[in-house]
Amino acid sequence: MVQVSQHLWEIPRSFRDDMRVPARLYADEALLDAALGDRSLDQLVNTATLPGIVKYAIAMPDIHQGYGFPIGGVVATRLPEGIISPGGVGYDINCGVRLLASEASVQEVSPFLAELASILYRNCPSGVGVHGEIKLQDAELDKVLVDGARWARERGYARAEDLQHTEEFGAMPGADPEYVSHKARERGRSQIGTLGAGNHFIEVDRVAEVFDETAAEHLRLLPDQVVVQIHCGSRGFGHQVCEDYVARFQTTVRDYGIELPDRELVCAPFESVEGQQYAHAMACAANFAFANRQVLAHRIRRSFEQALDGKVSSFDLHQVYDIAHNMAKIEEHEVGGQRMRLCVHRKGATRAFGPRSPGLPDDQRNIGQPVLIPGSMGTESYVLVGTHGSMEQTFGSTCHGAGRVWSRMRAKKTVRGQQLRQELESRGIAVRTGSMPGLAEEAPQAYKDVSRVVDVVARAGIGKKVARLEPIAVIKG
Amino acid sequence: MQHFQEIEHTADWAFRAQGRDLAHLFANAARGLFELQGSTGTGETTTVREVAASGKDHETLLVNWLNELLYLQETQQETYSRFEILEISDTHLRARVHGHPNRPEGKLIKAVTFHGLEIRHSENGLQATIVVDV
Repeated sequence: MVQVSQHLWEIPRSFRDDMRVPARLYADEALLDAALGDRSLDQLVNTATLPGIVKYAIAMPDIHQGYGFPIGGVVATRLPEGIISPGGVGYDINCGVRLLASEASVQEVSPFLAELASILYRNCPSGVGVHGEIKLQDAELDKVLVDGARWARERGYARAEDLQHTEEFGAMPGADPEYVSHKARERGRSQIGTLGAGNHFIEVDRVAEVFDETAAEHLRLLPDQVVVQIHCGSRGFGHQVCEDYVARFQTTVRDYGIELPDRELVCAPFESVEGQQYAHAMACAANFAFANRQVLAHRIRRSFEQALDGKVSSFDLHQVYDIAHNMAKIEEHEVGGQRMRLCVHRKGATRAFGPRSPGLPDDQRNIGQPVLIPGSMGTESYVLVGTHGSMEQTFGSTCHGAGRVWSRMRAKKTVRGQQLRQELESRGIAVRTGSMPGLAEEAPQAYKDVSRVVDVVARAGIGKKVARLEPIAVIKG
Repeated sequence: MQHFQEIEHTADWAFRAQGRDLAHLFANAARGLFELQGSTGTGETTTVREVAASGKDHETLLVNWLNELLYLQETQQETYSRFEILEISDTHLRARVHGHPNRPEGKLIKAVTFHGLEIRHSENGLQATIVVDV
């Protein structure tokens, strides 16, 4: 491995015969050690073999071992010959983060925090396979799949500014429900407005530190303000879309003569019939996730009203931004001095478009795209903005979170959920969860230090720090 | 023979299933899938479902079989603990699964992946390491 600069390492093409491009990792020495501690770099090298890949297979400092692609990876393929891979997006298509910011301060909300946490837990159903109160018939489900958060606006779950402040303005183009299976529909039908399980959560935070006052002012973020993060995705609907196409592409790769080092990397040329079918279905799942986070945002606003009305003078929540961190998108980037149309896969990585990039809302155009980086449970989180550096180096991408270092098995053996809950509560963090073992698996010790991850992307110039958030309440599935 | 064993994986879960033949391996992999989610594998069963799966090879068949069970678990809100493989070929499977209403009590699995999946011969018959998304 060659050190390219202080925070950038490269595995050259000569490392393995089947690599088409070098692999690059953003890390400091401690994060590099963490990446070497599991199979994540082998998985990164595997992605460097994908047909049509350009520049580098890129890993963010929060990289960790996944299945097929590593989590924290960015792979861009050149169109029309490049591939699209369902495994490069992941099972939770358009898993992402939404940040809402309240007009209230932590001092105003604190006396009512326990009640607010309980109301949030009650209003936002959690757990794998949990059903919500909205059950969609076929025609309306189709509208969700095509219109995403715009569907939610028609149903009264969204404000116009929410859509403005959502990646793709809340609706991925190219969605076609014809390419979605009956099973995906059955799984998704009653899951809109539900949180799910795993590492998904709703977290109430306070703005603990502002690094960039101009950007913070644009985003309407102030020190000590109460904000809410929502981390979830497309639920069983997205899982089924991924499953369907990973299974189907097992034969597609053979038809196109594509050889791969791992079957979970299966893919199809983007412009092929099969590639297009997946792209249409993936966009449906992405829109399901945008609609899901939008309905949750609506429920969070309602929860604030129920908990704070008549007690706090103004507590309204505006949407700062909503970003995806499991997605493949068609974008134009400069590669070797040429503008190229690319399919950019970000799996556990976030789009981080720099100032004045296309696709940004007018009021955020000059500061760059907001990037939301949740930390592990009970630790800090960050708001960043994209930079010219991310456009030049990483196809407009940056990290997505802390990144695991412990297996779930080790976390469960080492940490007791009940004890962790007490520790968090002794620090003034209200915890509401349906599963103590689930809580233990997400213990902060199981993750890398998010501040270190964010420092690396900031120093490498692929993200700029705007604000740091500290948790005051955690709601988990 | 231990029918399954959980193994370390950073982000997700992995387990190794064993069986004296293909049908036994597939039944044990299904037991592992539900026991990892907190099902005890004992107690009275009250629901029975017929399940069919297909795949171009043994690995695809195994993934599709396990994902079919997760689909039923999620959409029917049921837990399964006994798995009778009625017929199995290189590309098709038909099974009867027994369970009860209610989801397993532990953390639930979202999907079964193909990552590193290979059905191998072992001293006891066959084994497979299965990585699941949680």
